[in-house]
Amino acid sequence: MSTQVTIYEPFRAGLPPIGAYLRQLWSRRTFIAEFSRAELREQNFDSVFGQLWLVLNPLLLSGVYFLLIYIIRGSSDSTRYAHLTACLFLFYLIGNSLSGGVKSITSGQRLIMNTAFPRVMLPISATVVALFKFIPTLAVFFVLRIALGLPYSWQMLWGVPILLIALLMGLGMAITISCINVYFRDIANFLPYIIRSLLYLSPILFEVSALSPRLKKFEMFNPLFSLLDSWSKAVVHASAPDMHSLLQSLIWAVVIFLFGTYFFLSRERDFAVRL
Amino acid sequence: MISLSVSKSNSQNSTHAKHGLAVSISNLSLIYKTSISKRPTFKARLKSIGRGKKHTRVVNAINNVNLEVHYGSVLGVIGSNGAGKSSLMRVISGIIPPTQGKVEVHGSVSTLLALGVGFNPSMTGRSNVYLGGLAAGMTRSEIDSRFEAISEFSELGDSIDAPMRTYSSGMYARLAFSVAATVEPDILIIDEALSTGDAHFKEKSLNRIKELRSADRALILVSHALATIEEICNEVLWLDKGKIMMRGKPEEVVAAYKEFLNVGKSASSNEDV
Repeated sequence: MSTQVTIYEPFRAGLPPIGAYLRQLWSRRTFIAEFSRAELREQNFDSVFGQLWLVLNPLLLSGVYFLLIYIIRGSSDSTRYAHLTACLFLFYLIGNSLSGGVKSITSGQRLIMNTAFPRVMLPISATVVALFKFIPTLAVFFVLRIALGLPYSWQMLWGVPILLIALLMGLGMAITISCINVYFRDIANFLPYIIRSLLYLSPILFEVSALSPRLKKFEMFNPLFSLLDSWSKAVVHASAPDMHSLLQSLIWAVVIFLFGTYFFLSRERDFAVRL
Repeated sequence: MISLSVSKSNSQNSTHAKHGLAVSISNLSLIYKTSISKRPTFKARLKSIGRGKKHTRVVNAINNVNLEVHYGSVLGVIGSNGAGKSSLMRVISGIIPPTQGKVEVHGSVSTLLALGVGFNPSMTGRSNVYLGGLAAGMTRSEIDSRFEAISEFSELGDSIDAPMRTYSSGMYARLAFSVAATVEPDILIIDEALSTGDAHFKEKSLNRIKELRSADRALILVSHALATIEEICNEVLWLDKGKIMMRGKPEEVVAAYKEFLNVGKSASSNEDV
C-alpha cells in the first residue's frame, strides 16, 4: 500500500484526468444532494405554501399565455392549452437550470476559495434544484391532462427519453453559463432576456404545424425547438415523436453538454483567482 | 488534481513512515492578476477594445519558495498581513494552481482556511453539520457516527436544531470549528481558525489541535498568535512579501519576527484579535 501522491503544477488550459475527476465527483454525490436541498430550503420550497407556489406560478403563467393566445387568435381548444402547459413546464426546467446555474460559481466564492472539490458540482446542483422544481409541475400536468380528457397511449413513454435529453441540455447550459459568468459578470443581467427570447422562439405559444415553411428553416438553430416539439407530441398528443427532431434535440443536448463541460473543466482550476 | 478524502486517509494513516515527507514544495511562485474594475464584465471588455488598457493589477503573492514538511511535525507559519501565508496554504491544498514550480502532496489534505465553509444560514445547526462535513469531504455515515461528539464539542445544546441565522457569531464559529476539527486527514492546514469564541472555547479548540498532533499527521498552522505558535509548533516558517525570511526553531523565529516588527514589548501582539 502506498500513499496517494498529488502533484500541483502550473495551470494549463486543458482537461484534468477525467477518470480521477469523475471518481471525485461521484464520491461527493451526497454533498450535491445536500447542497441542493439547502438551496431549495433557502427558497422556501420545503414548506407547503412554497411547494404550492411552485405549482401555482407556472400554472398562472400558462393561464395568462392561454388568455393571450385566445385574444390574438379568437379561438382555442383544450389540446392547445395542454400543449402550452406541458411545454411551458419543460421550458422552465431548462430556464431554471440556466438562471440557477449562472451565479453558481460566483456565489460559491467562499466554498471555492477555501475547499478543494470538483467545481462542476455547483452547476450540477443548480440543475438538480431545477429538476426538483419541475417534478411537482409534472404531476400537475397529468392531473390537468385527465381533466381535459386527452387520449392516452404507450407512445407517451417517449416522454422519458425526451425528459432525459432536456436534463442533459439544461445541465450543459448551466455548466456553460456558470463558467462564462466568471469571466463576464454581466451575463447574469442579460440572461432574463435570453430566456425570454428562447421562450418566444420555441414552439410553446404556437405549435410547429402553425409555423410558415420559411421560418421553419431556422428551427434547427434553436436548441429547444425540436425538443419541445417532441415533448408535446409525446405527452400531449400521445403519439410517437418525429425521429428526425428527436435526434436533432439529442445532438443539440450532447453538443452543448460536451462543449460546456470541456470549457468548464479546462478552466475550473483558474476560477479561484478570478473570484 | 484535487484531493480531499477522509475515508481514504483513515486507512492510510498507518502507511506513513515516521518523519516521511508530507509536502514538498520546489521553486514555487504564485503570481496572479486581480482585476481593477471590480467585476469583469462584457461591457468593460467591449469598452477597452482597441485601447490596450490593462484592467488588471499583478500581485506577486509567492516568490520562489522551497519547503519540505514531514509527517509528525507541526509547522507554524507567521508573517504580516499580505505576506502570502494564505496563498501558500491554498496552493498546497490545490485550490489555486501555482504559476511556477511544483508542489507534491503525499497523503490527503484537509483545509480549515475559513470557518463555516458551505454553511447555509437558513438551515438548522444540525443540517449544517452535515452540509459542512460533506463540503469538507466526509461521508454521511462518518458524520452520523461523529455527530454527537460534534454537537457536544460545540456546546450549543438545544440550539443545534435552530436555524443558524439565529446564532450569535460566537455560536456560529463554535459550530464551524467543531465540524472542521472532526475531519481527520493526513495533512491538516489551519489558517487563523483558532481564535474563535470566548476564552473557554479558545482553550478547548487549542487542546483539540494539540490532540490532532501525532506522528502520522502533519499540521500546518497559520496564526498571528505568536505565543500559541511557540507553544504548539516544533518548527516555524516566517514569510514576508512572498519570500521565506527564516525557518527554524519556534522561539528563534518568533523572536526574530518580533524584532522585525519591533513589537517585542507590546502585549497586544500576543492576543488573538
